Amino acid sequence: MIEDNDIILKQAARVLTPFILIYGIYITFHGHLTPGGGFSGGTVIASSLILNRISSGNRGSGPEIDRMMGIASIALVCYGLIKAMGTFFPDFTHRVLPRGIPGDLLSGGAILPLNIAVGFVVACVMYIFFCLIGEEA
Amino acid sequence: MKRITVGLLLGAMLVVLLSTVSEMPQFGSPSNPTHNYVSSRYVGKSALETGAVNVVTGIILDYRAFDTFGEATVIFVAALAVVSVLARGGLSGD
Amino acid sequence: MSSVVHLANNYIYIASFTLFLIGFSILLLNSNLIKKIIGMNIMDTSVFLLFISQGYIKGRKAPILEGGGSVNPAEYVNPVPSALILTGIVVAVSVTAFLLALTVKLYNLYGTVDMDEIIEIRRSVDGNS
Repeated sequence: MIEDNDIILKQAARVLTPFILIYGIYITFHGHLTPGGGFSGGTVIASSLILNRISSGNRGSGPEIDRMMGIASIALVCYGLIKAMGTFFPDFTHRVLPRGIPGDLLSGGAILPLNIAVGFVVACVMYIFFCLIGEEA
Repeated sequence: MKRITVGLLLGAMLVVLLSTVSEMPQFGSPSNPTHNYVSSRYVGKSALETGAVNVVTGIILDYRAFDTFGEATVIFVAALAVVSVLARGGLSGD
Repeated sequence: MSSVVHLANNYIYIASFTLFLIGFSILLLNSNLIKKIIGMNIMDTSVFLLFISQGYIKGRKAPILEGGGSVNPAEYVNPVPSALILTGIVVAVSVTAFLLALTVKLYNLYGTVDMDEIIEIRRSVDGNS
C-alpha cells in the first residue's frame, strides 16, 4: 500500500523500529524491578513490529500469522511448564532459578522467564490482531 | 426525542450514583476496609518470598501465577477467535 | 454544605461515574458499531479507575520496594487492586478485538457499519423473498 517514493516514511520507520523494540525488551526484562512486565512490554514490542509492517508495505499475511500463532502457542506452553515445575518441584526450581538479591536483574526466581513468556504471547497476539483486523477489511 | 429521553435517563442515573458517594469509603484514607492485613502481608513479605522488588509483579507472577496463566490463555483464545472469524486462507488454509 | 465538601474530597468517584455515563450515552445514542465499541471501552476504563482508586492511600509511595532488608508496610500503597485489575484489562482487550473482528465481517457482508442501515437491508431482503 506504500509507494516506492515514500522514502522519508520508510527511513524514519527504519530508524525508529529498533529503539522501540529495545525499549519493549527493556520493559519486559525489568518487570520485577520497575513498573511494567510482560503485558506492557509485549504491547510495545508489538507496536515496533506493526510499525515495521505498515512502513514496508503490505505483504501477504498467511504464513506470518501461522508463524506468530506457533510462537504464541509455544510461549504459552513454556509458561505452563515453568510454573508447573515451580509448583511440583520447588527445591529443584530454587536451585536452577535462585531468588538472588532483591534488586538485581537476575533475581526473583521464576518471575523473569514467566515475564518473557507472557511478553512473547502478548506481542504475537497483538501483531495478529493488527494484521487481521486492520487489513482484511 | 431520543436524545431527551436518554439525557433524562442518564441524569437520573447520575443522581442515584452520586447519592451513593456518602456511603462509600473516604478516598485515600488509610483506615479504609480495603487496607487490611492482606496488603500489609504482601508488601512486608513479598521481597523475601519472591525476590521481586516490584510488589505488583510479585503478586501476579508468583503468588497468583496460575491466574496470569489464565489471562494469557484468554488473550490467546481471543486471537484464535479473531483468526477463525477473519482469516481467508490463513493458518495453513492454502 | 458538608455533603459538597465530601463530594469534592471524593472527586475520584465523580470522575469514574462521569466516564461511565459518557460511555453509556455513546452506547445508547450512536448506531455506528465502531462508536459503540469505543463507548464500551470508555465504560471499561471507568470501572478500572473506580477499582484502582480503592488501593490509593494519601501521601504514600508506589509499591516498588526500596532499600531491601526490613520493609515497613505503612510506607506503600495497597498493591492488591492493581494486581487484580490486570485481568480485567486483558479481558477488555480480548473482547474489543473480537467485537472489531465481527464488525469487519459485518462490513464485508453489508458494506456498512451502521446498525440502522444493516437492519434496513435485512428488512428489504426479507420483504423480497
